[in-house]
Order: sequence, then C-alpha cells, then structure tokens
Amino acid sequence: MRPSPGAATLILAGAAFAAQADETCNSPYIAKLIKGQEDFVYVWTLGVEGVGDGSDKLVTVDVNPKSKRYGKVVHTVSTGARVEAHHMGFTDDRRRIWAGGLADNRIWVFDIATDPAKPRIVQTISDLGDKSGWLGPHTYYAMPNRMLVQALSNTKDKGGRTGMALYNNQGKFIASYAMPTAHGGDGYGYDLAVNPAKNVLLTSSFTGYANYMRPIGELMKDGEAMKKFGATMAVWDLKAMKPTQVFSVPGAPLEIRWSLKPGDNWAVTAAALTSKLWLVRQEGKAWVAKEVGTIGDPAKIPLPVDISITRDGKGLWVNTFMDGKTRYFDMSNPEAPKQTYEKVTGKQVNMISQSWDGKRVYITSSLLANWDKGGDDNEQFLRGFEWNGKELAQKFEVDFNKEKLGRAHHMKLGAKGLAGG
Amino acid sequence: MSVRRSPQAALAVLLAALAAPWALAHHAEPPALDFTPPPPGSYVLHRIMPAPEGRIVGLDGRVERLSRYTRGQITLLGFIYTTCVDPQGCPLAYQVFDALKEAIEATPRLHGKVRFVTLSFDPARDTPDVMRHYAGSRAVEGKGLRWYFLTTRSARELMPIVDGFGQDVVVAYDRSSGQPRRELSHVLKVFLIDPAGDVREVYSSMFLHPQMVLNDIETLLLEEAEAR
Repeated sequence: MRPSPGAATLILAGAAFAAQADETCNSPYIAKLIKGQEDFVYVWTLGVEGVGDGSDKLVTVDVNPKSKRYGKVVHTVSTGARVEAHHMGFTDDRRRIWAGGLADNRIWVFDIATDPAKPRIVQTISDLGDKSGWLGPHTYYAMPNRMLVQALSNTKDKGGRTGMALYNNQGKFIASYAMPTAHGGDGYGYDLAVNPAKNVLLTSSFTGYANYMRPIGELMKDGEAMKKFGATMAVWDLKAMKPTQVFSVPGAPLEIRWSLKPGDNWAVTAAALTSKLWLVRQEGKAWVAKEVGTIGDPAKIPLPVDISITRDGKGLWVNTFMDGKTRYFDMSNPEAPKQTYEKVTGKQVNMISQSWDGKRVYITSSLLANWDKGGDDNEQFLRGFEWNGKELAQKFEVDFNKEKLGRAHHMKLGAKGLAGG
Repeated sequence: MSVRRSPQAALAVLLAALAAPWALAHHAEPPALDFTPPPPGSYVLHRIMPAPEGRIVGLDGRVERLSRYTRGQITLLGFIYTTCVDPQGCPLAYQVFDALKEAIEATPRLHGKVRFVTLSFDPARDTPDVMRHYAGSRAVEGKGLRWYFLTTRSARELMPIVDGFGQDVVVAYDRSSGQPRRELSHVLKVFLIDPAGDVREVYSSMFLHPQMVLNDIETLLLEEAEAR
C-alpha cells in the first residue's frame, strides 16, 4: 500500500532501489523487480467476434502456487474495442500498464497499483496518429517519467515506414522520431531496447499495416508484398535520439534482448523469416551485427516470434510459431549459441516470458488474428511451466477459447505489494 | 596571463581529484561513463512536464511555495532523506551535485545561472535543523551558485510534490505484523528544470553523471541564448 497524503509521518530508513533490469526483458528504468514469486500474469488478449464480449481485454491470471485460485482467471477488463491487441509495457514506476493494438492508434492505460489483482482503465490516449503520423503502436518502453512507443506503420499509406513517439507518463505527447531511411535504413520499425550504460538505443524492423493485417496465406503468395518486410536494425545515440549506425539484418528482426549481465555489451534478436539468431555487439567503439545461429530448419519457416533472455545472459528461450516449439539456447558464448533443449508446448506458440530466477516460464499462443492457425490448431492459451534446467513441466493452463476470452498474446508479470508493502 | 578553463575541463580536473584515494574517504567514486556524450547543443531537451507546485520549508523554518525554487534559473532538484545510505541513492546524488558545484564555481560564465535544490521526503525526521546540519557548508552561498536545502511540514504537504515529480516512494511493511518496517525505498531521480519551470531531463542512477548534467545545462543555456 501507498502512504496516504494524510499520513502523519513517513517512516524511513533502508535502501533505494537500484534501477536495474526488470524480470529479464523489460526496460532497465523500471523501478521494481519481482525477484521472488510473482502473483499474477497479465495477458493482453485480442477480442474475437462472437467470442465472449468480442472485445480486446486485459486478463489477470493468478499464478501463485500457494493461492487457492492458482492457474485461474481472477479478473478481466475489456476495452470495448477490437483493434488487434498486441503488446504492452509498464511505466517506469510500474504503477501502470500501457497497451495498444496494431489496427488502431489508441493506447489504453491500466492502473495496476491500486489493486494488482484488478487492473482498471484510467486513461485512453488517442492522439498518436495525429501527433506523429505513425500507426499501430507496438512496443511500450519505459524511460524516466516517459514512455517511448515504437509503432509499426504510418497513417499515410499504412506501409512499413514508421517511427517512435515519446509521451510523458501523464499521456502527453512530447516528440516523434522517424526510423532511419538514410545509410541503408529501410524506415521500418518493430522493437526497441535500451542499454543506458552505453547510451545506446537499438531498434529492429517488421512490416506495415498493409501486410500484418492480411491473412498470412494470401500474404505469402504475394511476392511484392513479401518484399515489404524490414531487413535492418539501427543503433541510436540514446541521449540525442539520433541514429548512428544501420545494419543489414534480413528477414524481419523482431524482439531485442540485451544481456543483463553487468559488463556485457551485446544484444540478441531473432529474424522471423530467415530463422536466424543475430548478435549486436560493441567491438571497439563501433557496433557490429552478425548472424550467429540457426533456429530449427529455416527451409520449413518455423517462424521464431519471441525470445526471452535469462538474467545472467547465459540462456535464451525461443518460441517458434509454426511448429509450436519452445527452444532453449546456451548463450555462454553469444558468438555461437547452442540449442540444448526443445519441446512442443502448443500447436501454435507466440510469446514467452520467464520469472527473474528463470524457474517459471509462461507461454501464450496468438501471433496476429489473421496469422493464427485455424480449426483445431487454433489453440488459445496461457500455459505455465516450471523449468528445472533440464525439462519444462507444465503446471497449469488457461484455455482462452473455452473461457471465451479471445486470443492470448503479450504477458507481463505482477505482484501484490509492489506499490508498497 | 590568465587561462580560461571550460566547465568540462574544470569537471575533468575535479573528477580526477575525486578519484584520488584521499578523496574517497569523503566522496564515492563517480559512476564510470562508458561513452562519449553528445556535445551541448547537438540535441534537444524536450519539455517533459511542468515542475509541480507545493509548499516547502526552508532552513529558516519559513513556509514558501516550491516554485520560488524551480523558476527563474536552471534548477537541479533531487529528493533525499538524511539517513539514506544506499550508494546508488542519495549519496550518489550528493556526490554528483558536489562535483557539479565545484565545476560551476570554477566557471564564471555559469555563475548565477544554476541553482541546486535538495528536498527531503522525510518530513518527520528531516526538520529544518536536521537539514541545516546535513547541508553543512553547502547551504552557505557559494561562488555563483546557491544550494537550497528544503523540507516539508508533513506527508500531506510532501506527497503531492513527490507524486507531481513522479518520484516513486515506497514504505515497506512487515508482512507478519502489518507495521511499517522503518524502511523506505525509492528510485533515484534527479530533475533538470528550466527557468520557465519545465522539467527537461530526468536522471536515473544510470545517467546521473556530472558530465551529462553539465552538457544538459549548457544545452539549455545555448537554447536560451538562441531565443534572445
């Protein structure tokens, strides 16, 4: 709980939080880590017409094994819209979640501090398109008192040219930054991740609304459309917010994960269409990008869609959507990742998140409404696993079809008492 | 012959001195800066938000409006509590403020342009007398720079300021008894405020380096000069 303004005193002592990495994949500016057992997984869920209320929603699942409601949905809050709900992110104080959809420009702000078990919408931001010209907010990356939002498309032609928008935590637009188009830049965007110690912002690239909203089968037959995927990553001077280097990284490099190990100077990403792992590393003063590994059989297009790095930078989970596999790579030598484990964890799998200690792993199923599989293969779930270093053991499942919730996509972890107590 | 020294050069000399073993007894070593920051004026410091208003208490015990200390000059404001010992918290901020103070005092053209504000978020213990003791000689008007040490009368008056700055503060509770554990956690943030009262940069412990702050101060001064 938070001290009330009427409290007679604040009782102090003790230590300040060192602002370091969140449970493995969040902004390093996020204040509070869940180093023990998380209580909740928040699942940003795409609404499906005719299923439940048909609306995009934030679903709260109790994931504390000591709870009587372990593995159960304890709360849902609908947006009243269906806009291809995709990703979300915490504000730097971890009191709010910003979440949005790729088919729209609205961003919903959820209060998770007042009652972590019952998030509620406290604000809707709707000026992204008007202020920046970007469309389809994707990544929400906490900066001190601000949120840096990476979009995927633009309002003008709905193609892949896009950029980032900076808001303050009150939801006021501050500035926008176009993805680089000079020096080899393709202007596309997808994810962003910051390494403050190096003053570096790293960005990746995907595709625009015109592609990601099309049915996947139709899209893959369209040779011209398939050329319109991102094939670059960019290094930015974080302080100046100016691109300094552009790398050729073919095949739509997606999620970016910096090694959190102190002193490490590298990040990793997976290129979805080529099924390759890429390393971005500082060599001397310059940064280089190099292909360092293969995920499955690229000829079969396994489609690596999400990665999650362990807190010590020595391991990487990779989910491949098409074959439903969860793979673990030994990253002890980031120049030569070695796959040491794999398991089919669903008929289709997308996001993967892990606890700070790496002992618990959570997986969801949905990629995009028009790219998910059909029929019986269209499983929609949140599955919780325990990882003992050798085997993933499933502990619970929430069937999002059966519960009439929709398509389960992005996850964030929550805990009671993070707001004080 | 007189030699004009840039604030960056003054800062470099100071940081070298701080790194000397004799100095470490009084100063923590500044965080390493593992990159070359962009030069002043080569980037934009956006207006992030207005600095909040509130009522504060100075060392003389007078109640005043906070805006008296956040407008009219470039202001570097940080929250502390006097019993904080975490090296990545209040002591780091103090050490960076000290380094900047000496760099600014060594640079006549910066005199009168910048003020420091240290505001306690422990109104119960950090009374004006405690703050005066904590400030020591720092509260005495220096050469071209004033450093103000402020507190508040109560949590009721403090919390709107803390919330307004987005400075998260957490009181920890003992789970078994439900009682406060005499413990407070906060993420270090230091705020750079322009003369109009707008927050232009927020430094976390990872970016709170004297060189970064000095470049930002220079950037605001260049912006001010261009606007004239």
